[in-house]
Formats: sequence, structure tokens, C-alpha cells
Amino acid sequence: MLAHVLRRLIVWVPSVLLVMLGVYALAFYGAGDPIKLIFLRAPGDVAYDPVKIEAIRAEAGLDRPFLVQFASYIWNLLQGNFGNSLTSGRSVWAMVSAAAPVSAALGLMTIVVTALVAIPLGMVAGLRQNSRLDYVILGTAVALWAIPAYVAGPLLMVLLLAVLPDGAVPYGWGGIFSVKVILPLIVLSFQPIALILRQTRAAVIEVLSEDYVRTARAKGVPEVMVALRHILRPVLTPVVTQLGLIMITIVNGAIFVELVFGLPGLGRLTVQALINNDYPVILAVTLIGSFLVMASNLLVDLLYPLLDPRAADVKGS
Amino acid sequence: MSMIDIEDQPSSLWRDAWRRLRRNRLAVAGLVIIVALVVVAVFGPWLSPHDFLSQNLDLRNQPPSAQHWLGTDDLGRDVLSRLIYGARTAFMVAVGVTIIAVAIGVILGAVAGFYGGWFDRFVMWFTDITMSVPQLLLVVVINASLKQPISQWMEARYLETLNPIWRNTQIIDFVLVFGAMALITWPPYARLVRAQVLSVRRRPYVTAARALGLTNRLILTRYVLPNAMGPLIVAVSAGLGTAMVLESAFSFLGVGVTPPTPSWGNMISDGLRVWTNYPHLLAAPAAVLAVVTVAFNFLGDGLNDALNPKGQK
Repeated sequence: MLAHVLRRLIVWVPSVLLVMLGVYALAFYGAGDPIKLIFLRAPGDVAYDPVKIEAIRAEAGLDRPFLVQFASYIWNLLQGNFGNSLTSGRSVWAMVSAAAPVSAALGLMTIVVTALVAIPLGMVAGLRQNSRLDYVILGTAVALWAIPAYVAGPLLMVLLLAVLPDGAVPYGWGGIFSVKVILPLIVLSFQPIALILRQTRAAVIEVLSEDYVRTARAKGVPEVMVALRHILRPVLTPVVTQLGLIMITIVNGAIFVELVFGLPGLGRLTVQALINNDYPVILAVTLIGSFLVMASNLLVDLLYPLLDPRAADVKGS
Repeated sequence: MSMIDIEDQPSSLWRDAWRRLRRNRLAVAGLVIIVALVVVAVFGPWLSPHDFLSQNLDLRNQPPSAQHWLGTDDLGRDVLSRLIYGARTAFMVAVGVTIIAVAIGVILGAVAGFYGGWFDRFVMWFTDITMSVPQLLLVVVINASLKQPISQWMEARYLETLNPIWRNTQIIDFVLVFGAMALITWPPYARLVRAQVLSVRRRPYVTAARALGLTNRLILTRYVLPNAMGPLIVAVSAGLGTAMVLESAFSFLGVGVTPPTPSWGNMISDGLRVWTNYPHLLAAPAAVLAVVTVAFNFLGDGLNDALNPKGQK
């Protein structure tokens, strides 16, 4: 097991570093001179004096070669220092840690909702393959997958507006247990639910043709027990491996959902940083998002031998 | 007698696939909607009842009427006409991006799968990494960092040549949008083509071609790639839909095509600001985008069943 963990980490760490390098290189060469950007934002404060600018540049260490600056960025990152925002001058770390709890709460709830809704429905659709119920569930899943969050959110709001009295349509953040969270949660869950539902259905159909399912049925095990004991467990393994993909849909979806419903999370921070061209913030949220996805993939990789002991010997190579 | 006629017709993969596709009602519905979209995109200028740019400030935020079927927006522009021109933008971006992404994916995937070795491992590693960066964030980064250099480069070209084409901001938009989106959408194509090539590479006819002394490039282009076409077509159909959604997503976030070029994403984000008072400004573009994306998904699933009959039980 330890050898397995080490092998995975040896591949994983360079991958994370490569993503960081790529994103940092884009920022380094594309965003323009950070000192000039700061001056452009506050033109009245200091006269545009080339000598002074070079002095500030040397002081901030921005005259060093690219790789040295990258290494120092990583070093600061490890110490929880993401630099300062270009617009507000606040520490990016403070901005991120103020926004992260909102997104984290929403994201975790989304995963719970997804598991509770998608796995049972996927089981039903798979067990009743090609029935009318199956078509309804599957068709809904396709629609949920295809309709983006920034379309579903507003459309639901328009519908609610027609039903609810003025001013009662939810907007903003009131904590994870307030009523306001329901609508964003529903919209954010659409894509993960569709993803897991289709995955569960396909896995169920595959497991149904296994010999042990036929054996269980032949010896008279009640259908409910067959579903719960013999089908559900092998189905869960491929479903769990989708964690990384779910993470991508949640990170992408959160950007829109938080914008549409006015939630002060990482997604809205991203959009604001984008509008202001606030590079340190964009860099930070991109790295956090990629890190979440890559960490989920690593977690799945590490857990896989525990979920499916057969895979331990084969995948170890 | 008629039975025999049908049996006598030569049956090919494509004919069989078409027959299976026609039986799938959802896929046909999707196909009809997409054909309608293409017609609207191509013949937009003749179909739209008004000019998409002409403002009528006396008729702002009008509800649907006989003159303006879907009403007017906050500048008094006809919503239906803007939707039609938005279809042109969406279609153009979807096709352009998919062509670039497929080209990158096919070349990398085919070469990696066919030759194997360290190049294969490197390409697959890179593919995995690209797929693990959330697409939207990557585009945000690409867009934020490349917009300035590209505009500066084009301004320099303009000063050099004084050709007004270098000052066309629409071109910058499309270069950026195409480039950024192609850079994030190629990995699935590369993976798919590589897997296909790996499965075809060891078939007897490839061995035979090799025994006959054909060059690797000839084997790849004439025997290996054509056999990977079926799954690729399915992926392209799904990819076109994805690209269309992505374009509107980026326009929605303000990193896609810039106004006044009409785009569904722009219209949705404009509508979002005034939806409490004028819900139709939000509902119209959102509904169109929803219908089109669902159509692409239904067609993609139908094509998948039609071209990969083995997958069906």
C-alpha cells in the first residue's frame, strides 16, 4: 500500500507543478508588467519615473529571471502567501479564505445531494432498462446535463417570479441551512446528477449480466436484496472514480451559480478578478480549482485498491 | 418481392447507421433542430425581420408584439433579430473551434497511439493534466493573459500595413475565443483517436499493409484513421454542442465575443440584469440555448447508438 501511495505521488507532484508552471507562465508573459499595472491603476499617486520604477521592481524581486520568480512564488504559496490583489491591495489569501467557506459548503452539499438523488435513480433506470420510466429518467438526465447553469438558474428564477409574490425570490447568501440555498444547490447539482445517473445506469446494466446476479436470483433471493447486496456494491466502484469529473463540473458550475444567485464564494471572486484583470487573484483561484480536481483524482487513485481489491495487483504496475 | 429488393441493396456501415438513426425519435428531433439552426445561421441576414444593431430608443424593453415578435431589449433592438445573428456567432465559433481541436487531437492521438513509447506516455500525461484543469478557469487565464499581446501585435501590424483589417476587434475576439477554446477542448479527441488507433494497429490488415512495405504515414492515413472515424463523428457531434455552450458561457462571463456582436451568452447576461422587470429578455435567449444544447446531446447519443451497434443489448 505504501509503495502504491508513493508511486502515485511521484507522478502526481510533477503534474501539479506543470499546471502551476503553465498558468504562471501565461500570467508572467501575458499579463503585462505588474509594476506598470499597479501604476496604471493609481496614476496620480506617484509620477511615472523610470528610475523609481526600476527601483521598485528590484525591491519586489521582479527583475529576476522567470524560473527564480516562479520558485519564489511556489515558496510563498507553501507558506500561505498568495500575494496582494491589484485592485484592493488586500492579501489574496484573506480574500480566498473569506470566500472559500461559502463555495466549500455549497460544493459538499452538492456532492451529498448528487449521491442521494443520482444513485437511486440510476439504479431504477438500469434495473428497468428500456422501460418508459427508464426513458423519462434518462431523458431528464440528458436535459440536465445539456442545460448550462447560467441558463437553468435564470429560467428557474423567472418561473419562481411568476409563482411567488414580489421580493420573495431567493437571492444572496444566508448560510448553508437557510432557504435561500435551495435554488443554487438544485442548479449546481444538475450536471453532477446527470453524470452520476448515467454512470450508475450503465454500471447496473453491466452488472446485471454477471453470473452471480443470476445465481442470486436463481436461489430465490428477493429482488430488493439482489439490488442492494449484489448490484449496488459493484456499481459504486466505477461511480466513485468519477469524483474528479464531478469536481470539475462543480468548480465550473460554481462560477455561474454564485454569479446568478449572488453568493459571495470563490466563483464570484473569479468573475470579479476577471473583470478587474486582477492577476494575483486569477492565478490563485485557478490554482485552487486545478488543485481540487487533481487532489480528487489522486484520492480516487489511492482509494481504488481498497474499493476493488482485485485491482490492487493489476494496477500496481 | 419488395423484401428481396431491400435485401438486395448493398449495405454499408453508413447506410445501416442512417437507418438506425432514423428510428431514434429523439435523435431525429435533435437533427431537425440542428438543421434549422444551420439554416438560420447561414441565411440569417435574409431571415431576420430587423437590423440587429438598429436602436429605437422609443421602443425600449417592449414585450413581444406583432412588429417585434420577441420584443425589444434595453436599447430598443429587436430580440428576434439578435437571436438570429447570435446563432451565426454560435455556429461559427462551434465549427471553427471544433475543427482546430479535432486537428490537434487527431494528430497527437494518432501519432501517440501508432508509435507508442515515450512520446505516447508524454502526450497522455499532458492530456490528463489539461483535462484536470477546470476549463472555465483555464480560459479565464488564457484570455486575461493573451488579449493584450494579441491586440498589441495587431496594432503593430496595422501601423505597418495601414490595412484596416488589423484594427477589426471582431477578429481579435474570434482569434482569442477560437484559440482558448481549442486549447481546452482537444484532449477528449486525442484520447479517443489514440484508443482507436491502439485497437486497430494490431489488426491483420495493418500487418498485411506493413508486410507489403507501405510507409507508416500511408498506413496511418489510409488504414488506421478511417477505421477510427465512427467514434470520432460521435465525439464531434457532442463537441459541437459543447463548443456552442462554452462560447455562450464565455460571452456570459465577458471573456467571449465583445458586444455589439450578438451572442446568446451576452444576451443572457444582459437579460440577467433586468429580468425582474422584463423576464422575456432573459427567457428568450436562455430557452434557445437550452433547446439547441439538448438537441446536440440527443443527436450525439443517437449517433453513438447508430454507429456503435455493439454497445446495444
